[in-house]
Amino acid sequence: MNAFLKFVPMAALASVLALLGGCGGSGSGASGGKATPQVIEKGKYLARAGDCAGCHTAGQGAFAGGVPLQTPFGVIYGTNITPDKEHGIGNWSADDFYRALHDGKSPQHQLYPAMPYTSYRMLTREDSDAIYAYLMSVKPVAVANRENGMHFPFNLRFGMGVWKMLFLDDSLPDASKGQSVAWQRGRYLGNALGHCAECHTPRGMLGQMKNGEALAGSALGRIAAPALTPAALAARGWTPKDLAALLATGVAPQGSVFDEMHTVVHLSTQHLTAEDMQALATWLMGDQPPAAAALVPAQAGTTLAAGRKTYLAVCAGCHGREGEGKPNVAVAMLGNSSVRDANPRNLVVATLDGIGEQRFPGNGAMQAMPGFARALSDQEIADLANFLRASWGGQPASLTADAVKALR
Amino acid sequence: MKIENIPLTVSINGKQIGPMPVPEGLPMIDFLHEYAGLTGSRLGCGQGVCRACTVILDKPDGSSEEIRTCITGAHYFEGKKIRTIEGHAQLDDKGEIKALSPVQQKFLEHFSFQCGYCTPGFVNAATVLLENLKREPVEREHLEQRIEAALGDHICRCTGYVRYYEAVRDVALGTPGLVKGGKP
Repeated sequence: MNAFLKFVPMAALASVLALLGGCGGSGSGASGGKATPQVIEKGKYLARAGDCAGCHTAGQGAFAGGVPLQTPFGVIYGTNITPDKEHGIGNWSADDFYRALHDGKSPQHQLYPAMPYTSYRMLTREDSDAIYAYLMSVKPVAVANRENGMHFPFNLRFGMGVWKMLFLDDSLPDASKGQSVAWQRGRYLGNALGHCAECHTPRGMLGQMKNGEALAGSALGRIAAPALTPAALAARGWTPKDLAALLATGVAPQGSVFDEMHTVVHLSTQHLTAEDMQALATWLMGDQPPAAAALVPAQAGTTLAAGRKTYLAVCAGCHGREGEGKPNVAVAMLGNSSVRDANPRNLVVATLDGIGEQRFPGNGAMQAMPGFARALSDQEIADLANFLRASWGGQPASLTADAVKALR
Repeated sequence: MKIENIPLTVSINGKQIGPMPVPEGLPMIDFLHEYAGLTGSRLGCGQGVCRACTVILDKPDGSSEEIRTCITGAHYFEGKKIRTIEGHAQLDDKGEIKALSPVQQKFLEHFSFQCGYCTPGFVNAATVLLENLKREPVEREHLEQRIEAALGDHICRCTGYVRYYEAVRDVALGTPGLVKGGKP
């Protein structure tokens, strides 16, 4: 993204800020309560459900920070949230912690919304206190926070005060409909804790979630976060049962998680109770989930021979001659979620870059998939993707070589 | 299910094989074993991990690279040139072995392998490495890293790799023009 284009609206915002003054955090009130073993245990569960470790645990110890998050505005590093008094949050009170989650403000400064307080804002005070109690119980790690690499003017944190005035809401919109207890619980797990929307809802010019397009899919990184609306999920063949299986094991008949979602399953969703997993799936697809769409065969007359030839030459060895896949080797292409996705991005990027070997909960695994960026031309990859999409994805065979080139 | 036969022509160890009808989707390792009569390449894991099935693909620009035959279809090789483990040694008029390739010879001298199942893959990987070094010599101090990078994916369950590595280093240091600077 062009930093200059970003600068213009941001500079305008900065002057608005000058007029309005700072934006204070809203009420904190209640104190931390008692850190009983039960509270700490609950906090551990909630910290996993909120996937704190996804951004706050790198190689230097649990919750010691250091995970880079690439954004259009620069790179941000997850911080040290161990109880270390110098580098971590050892000097924070439960109030401070709640304010960070709820208002995006640390005792030192405004937090960037890379810390998903836009979602965590919906956490109850009780749950915030439990997470705080848990974090205060982990081993302090004396690792300094890494300097963020934010571009000007985003390196000026005061602008976040204005950003929050504009974009920090008390609730997030839902993509599905429901009222059941499971749906309500799933909504809390998905919106407040799991912060699904942070990746799966498209973002606007200023990095705000476009709340009119809740969970409609987004591409912050090279691998896109696919649409998670009930209609989009059903169109790709998902059922609540298969979604729950995916969250638990990382693998489902529609494929396996990869890229950042692999981290999410590994660190977070696999640890949810079966009931919570089911609740999350219920919330994603709604109390009355739409039926999974049947796979339509390729339109007659579509020329897929070139792509099929490439498939048999370099893909079928692992993904199977008829796209059936091999357990613990490679996922099925027949009915695969990325193959059925109207957006061909992830299919093409996975073909170009490959996917590293992956381990899954319960001794599952998928072997390394080689990238074909060097071995196959743009046209060959377009033909291959068209063969897959039309034969096993119910999608039109309309991908062009130029579209592949754009993703290299 | 009917499987279609498609004509295939491929150059293996300098000899043209085919055109002959070959089922579409047949893995190359099966073509080598069942159609070309070349049984030296090993089928190990069958899923592209162990590299026992690796052969050498000779590219039109004169460079060479490794390719796994268990996960690559035979028809991928239409019109292409490959070398297998059978193509390394020098043969006399009667087809008897006159001399092993330098890599093969050093593997024997170092007792690099025991069961030998992974050896065809290691011979091909090491040969590709030496051919790359011939085009672009490596600094002495980086030689070990290059060997590691070239052989690292190949799995051996008998000798623990060290003897393979030492043998390849011996060939690299003993062949003029592959390594720059440093003491041998």
